[in-house]
Amino acid sequence: MTRAELEREVLGWIAEGVTAPTDDARFEALALALFQLQIERGAAYRRLCAAFGCDPRSVRHWREIPAVPTGALKEARFAIFPPEATLRTFRSSGTSAGARGELELDDLSLYDASLEATFRAFICPDAERLRFLVLAPSAADAPDSSLSYMFSRAVERMGTATSRFLVGADGWEPDQAIAELAAAREPVVLAGTAFAFVHLLDRLEARGETLALPAGTRVMETGGFKGRSRELTREELHGEIEAKLGVPLTRIVNQYGMCELATQFYEPTLRTGVYGDVKQAPPWVRVRVVDPVTQKDVAGGERGVLAICDLANTGSVLALLTSDLGELAEGGFRIFGRLRGAEARGCSLAADALLGAR
Amino acid sequence: MRELAELAAARDALDPRRVIRALAETFERWRAPGSPERVRLAREHGVYSAPVVERGVKLALAGWNEESLASLRARELSDPCWVPPVTAVWLAGSIPTAAFSALALPLLAGSAVYAKPASADPVSARLFAASLAETDPAVGAALAVGSDSKALDDADAVVAHGSDATIALVRARVGPGRPFVGYGHKLSVAAIGPAIEPLVAARRLALDVALWDGRGCLSPAWALALDAPRGRAAELARALATAFEELEDELPRGKLEPGEASELVELRARAAVRDGTRLEMAAGASTWTVALESGEVRPPPGIFRFLSVVPVADVESLGRFCAPLAPHLSCVGHAGFGAERGRLAAFAAAAGASRLCPLGRMQLPPLDWNHDGQPPLRGLVRWLDVEGAEI
Repeated sequence: MTRAELEREVLGWIAEGVTAPTDDARFEALALALFQLQIERGAAYRRLCAAFGCDPRSVRHWREIPAVPTGALKEARFAIFPPEATLRTFRSSGTSAGARGELELDDLSLYDASLEATFRAFICPDAERLRFLVLAPSAADAPDSSLSYMFSRAVERMGTATSRFLVGADGWEPDQAIAELAAAREPVVLAGTAFAFVHLLDRLEARGETLALPAGTRVMETGGFKGRSRELTREELHGEIEAKLGVPLTRIVNQYGMCELATQFYEPTLRTGVYGDVKQAPPWVRVRVVDPVTQKDVAGGERGVLAICDLANTGSVLALLTSDLGELAEGGFRIFGRLRGAEARGCSLAADALLGAR
Repeated sequence: MRELAELAAARDALDPRRVIRALAETFERWRAPGSPERVRLAREHGVYSAPVVERGVKLALAGWNEESLASLRARELSDPCWVPPVTAVWLAGSIPTAAFSALALPLLAGSAVYAKPASADPVSARLFAASLAETDPAVGAALAVGSDSKALDDADAVVAHGSDATIALVRARVGPGRPFVGYGHKLSVAAIGPAIEPLVAARRLALDVALWDGRGCLSPAWALALDAPRGRAAELARALATAFEELEDELPRGKLEPGEASELVELRARAAVRDGTRLEMAAGASTWTVALESGEVRPPPGIFRFLSVVPVADVESLGRFCAPLAPHLSCVGHAGFGAERGRLAAFAAAAGASRLCPLGRMQLPPLDWNHDGQPPLRGLVRWLDVEGAEI
């Protein structure tokens, strides 16, 4: 299969939506074909497989596809197209020390399709268009942020003309955001980074105020705190959002994503009406929980490292090994945050951090 | 804190000679063949394999005896000074012998100690305190292990180990009125010159890495190999793989937590895809990794028995590699420099290193070493300069 043929197949699957049958055989065939293509064209992926003793020709199941640790993408270029064909590059926020994660794209059609299908299904399942208030910069203000791109794309496709980005290139003023929210008379999609929500909540606390956002409002938060605000658990954050913004828990969704992936993951709260912490993968993505060394699945119910196989990642690597701790659950997976690394049990510093290097 | 008052009272009843004797006998208990204390620590530690704890403790304590303790005290505290009645010691990391010296030095200075163990190693400080109390109950009464952070406010002096951020927080809390000594995060490098057989150097280097699994601030984060004649660095890398393999049964690596395993996998993956880097790994296991770099690059620092061998052209290049590490460079372990050792020392000092030691001894600092460039006892007390003659 050529890349174009593969992409047509994946696009077709995405067009069927997140409720399409998961169809393991279909996934297997596409994943293996895509892996072979990426191995053929990607020198870095070939080097990685060789170093880890994996013969790509012997890979017979999608679970055997070597998942690339996200850190490796900071070291070498995994894109399977020439650099001059790159249309867009997303980079991780780089708040943690060291090199930044990247995703190069030479074609945005699959990325957009996956983004829109999941965002609509999990955040706007009940309305064609809604007013968005976004606690993050727009793509114009943060061109290499995948999060900003996602929000901008969602606003374009699902937002009303009165939608607004409340954070600019130079930051934001929580008081203005509070005024905007207080004036809202129609349901909104209030979406943004977790740390921006904390700043908003802290400002409300300082003013001794609470808001009651219109019924039908939904909140989507993502991205963790990155040392930019006080840190709360997911439950604490959602509890404060409920208490201070007047949005019930059954309308609050946490999204899990990373800039190296084309597809994001959401809790199906707005589809089911039930508040929960299990995230769903759409049919064109599979999530495994593995031992990072062997890349074998951990025993059922155990925690391990999340490994993600995303058919929408056609231009680089489809299988990624994250640094996030998770477990499989009925209907999806749970995530428990970043794995605790070397700094926790040694006195030598991870010197990427120490040197602020690379 | 009532406990601090009791500690102060206990230390008031002690004279320095008794403390020295008790510490020396305690160290002797720990390094004795079949030491039950060492065996118990090896069993209970959790981060390292039992053989690593056994060997690491035994080797590190080799020179910690009555003579060296007395000589250190005489050398550093012969002038008039005020010794804080109680010093709070906040420990970090997981290396037992680092905890031992952190507890012993304030005692040697004449202070009682209230110690908070590191979260990664709740065992070493407690076992050391128990063995000291067993050796001499009166001296043991001057050392308490607990977790009450009020000790940071109430103790007369504070010693803190940890990240730079932690040190800054504790320093701010202690304020200017009390002696404070902070030990932040550091890292070390190994430097291998041409005047040594690669396998000999590799075996010493492997020991420096294997003791404490590359986790310590004295563990080499990189091996810088003078590539003269060309190919020496590659020879060293191959020999290091052999040396790691030889240690597999003798000094096995400790079990990694998932986050640590993930970090190691990432290090390996980054090395595997880095242009020109050659990787050698334990067969089917994560227990050791050697990455031979293709030139003077700065790969991520090694840990968990992952080590990058970086070829450098000459001693000047080695100095250039080390220069950006200041102020975080602690130790340079070296071998094979012959007459160039003086130049190596000059570059290491310029890069902020506070210790230059033979390869194979990086994990064995003497008790009187100037840890991070700070004198072991002098910072723990307040000095009184007595000037002029009596009128």
